[in-house]
Amino acid sequence: MVYDVPNGESVHALSDVSFDLEAGRLLTLLGPSGCGKTTLLNILAGFLAPTGGSVSLGGAPITGPGQERGMVFQQGALFEWLTVEQNIGFGPRMNHANKSETKARAAELLEIVGLGGFGDKRIYELSGGMQQRVALARCLANDPDVILMDEPLGALDALTREKMQGLILELWKETGKTIILVTHSVEEALYLGDRVFVMAPRPGRIHSDYQLPFAEQGLTTDARELKAAPEFTQKREEILSIIWEMEEEIMGRQEAS
Amino acid sequence: MSAPMGGTPIDQASLRTNDETRWSASLFGRRDGANNRKTVTFGDSSAVRSLPVWSLLAFVSIFGFWFLATYAWGLPGDLQLSESQQEAGLTYESLSDKQRIAVCNGREDCKGSFSQLLQPLQFPSVRDTWNTFFELKDEGFRNVTLWENTSASLGRVIRGMLGGSLLGIPIGFAMGLSSRARGFFDTPVELLRPIPPLALIPLFILIFGIGDSSAVPLLIFASLWIMIIAARSGVQAANLSKVRAAYSLGASKRQVLLHVLLPNALPELFTGFRVALGVTWGTLVAAEIVGAPDGLGAMVFAARPLFRLDVMVVGIVVIAVLGVMMDIVLRWLESKLIPWRGKG
Repeated sequence: MVYDVPNGESVHALSDVSFDLEAGRLLTLLGPSGCGKTTLLNILAGFLAPTGGSVSLGGAPITGPGQERGMVFQQGALFEWLTVEQNIGFGPRMNHANKSETKARAAELLEIVGLGGFGDKRIYELSGGMQQRVALARCLANDPDVILMDEPLGALDALTREKMQGLILELWKETGKTIILVTHSVEEALYLGDRVFVMAPRPGRIHSDYQLPFAEQGLTTDARELKAAPEFTQKREEILSIIWEMEEEIMGRQEAS
Repeated sequence: MSAPMGGTPIDQASLRTNDETRWSASLFGRRDGANNRKTVTFGDSSAVRSLPVWSLLAFVSIFGFWFLATYAWGLPGDLQLSESQQEAGLTYESLSDKQRIAVCNGREDCKGSFSQLLQPLQFPSVRDTWNTFFELKDEGFRNVTLWENTSASLGRVIRGMLGGSLLGIPIGFAMGLSSRARGFFDTPVELLRPIPPLALIPLFILIFGIGDSSAVPLLIFASLWIMIIAARSGVQAANLSKVRAAYSLGASKRQVLLHVLLPNALPELFTGFRVALGVTWGTLVAAEIVGAPDGLGAMVFAARPLFRLDVMVVGIVVIAVLGVMMDIVLRWLESKLIPWRGKG
């Protein structure tokens, strides 16, 4: 797959990004700001059409947004005028699904994301972490094949963030869904991704492609222990230095011009 | 604060004292609750609230001043009326303050014995206004009762607001959703919007005639642009993530419009509605003054050549009270319909 997305006139947001992803993987996209992570995710979601190349899911080309690709946004994408339960049931309702089944499914999903009994609450009554749990549940209600997450934990405080990382890993293992997650946190990318793309900016491209064991281990090992393990910290430093090099290169280029 | 010194336990009496202080603090504004530990309150807007006692004081002051300024001090309790007046079935008891003063004015037996700050031709007395209210309610002014005038006015406002909303909201939505609609409607909206509706009253009377037939179109004109702009900004306020999330969840364009864009625009629509209602209410009274046989504005204006200041004041008070009531109803509706506003 080749994308070439000029933004405005001649800015190449992405150039020559080609990859295949097997079903059931958890891919994290990591990189400095401006490297096109979100653009890539929007193309996968079908919100943007690539200027060149093609994207396909299970052999079918992606031409627009679709239910087989659920999306979890950073924040503000929940519907405030609906209750938590109605938010989760939004997808099924749009598909004219059976009402009592939708209700039962919503209650079940609320239990799964750890919000049992919160169905009648309003969105603004929930904390940021709880809102992202609802966003996850809403996405799962449509039973998508792929879940796309655009910095889903970016707006959360550090403690809530760690808890939510655990939840994402659990959901990934239990549901067997393919997940593509954008993040700017190296630790998060390593902990969650069983495959990690480190992306480079101007033009956005995949700099390196890692296959990592930490996501699998994270299901059985304690998160703090895993993140403190020497293999983990070593990888973290390695990737951090790659990103720092990129940053310095950008700075140098800006000073030169 | 009666904080016990040196570990002495707080006794019942001191606790009760605290409760009493708290109760009166809520009325008279002594420091209480969160405020009682604040040392800086001057400039802290969260420490300032509307104290009921002072609101009551303002209310009493306004009516007190009205009463004091229009009360005829030293007016005799009884006066013999002239024969012709008695033949007409009048008694001193049944006269209004204004009439009593008029009777008194020409007579030697009470001349110079009373004083009044505001003459009846400057402002009606509280008693006259009160009695006129019931007269207008039961008998009416020029054979139109107060209720008929009120319902005529309210009917026009309701129709004007309905027309303005039903036309304006779809146009505003179209302008927020389609470049063609934006291009098409931008010119007429920007050209017509700045015209004060009052400037159109003569034209509308000539085109549509007197009464409802010209007042309602005028009110539609007054509310239309406000509703268009409210609806347009309501659509534009929609967070792109919400719209994209809805499409990802399988919603069609129609469903996005009905289930996302419309509820999401409710706060802006509501603000527009409240502004439009205020403008419409003001335009209505002016429109009725010149171009309607009935309605509160017509009543107030028709009272002028007859020097019926009491009728004017009743009309003005009713207009004011209705305005306040409409705002209260809208605020209540707002808290029910869009509880998420200003939160999160």
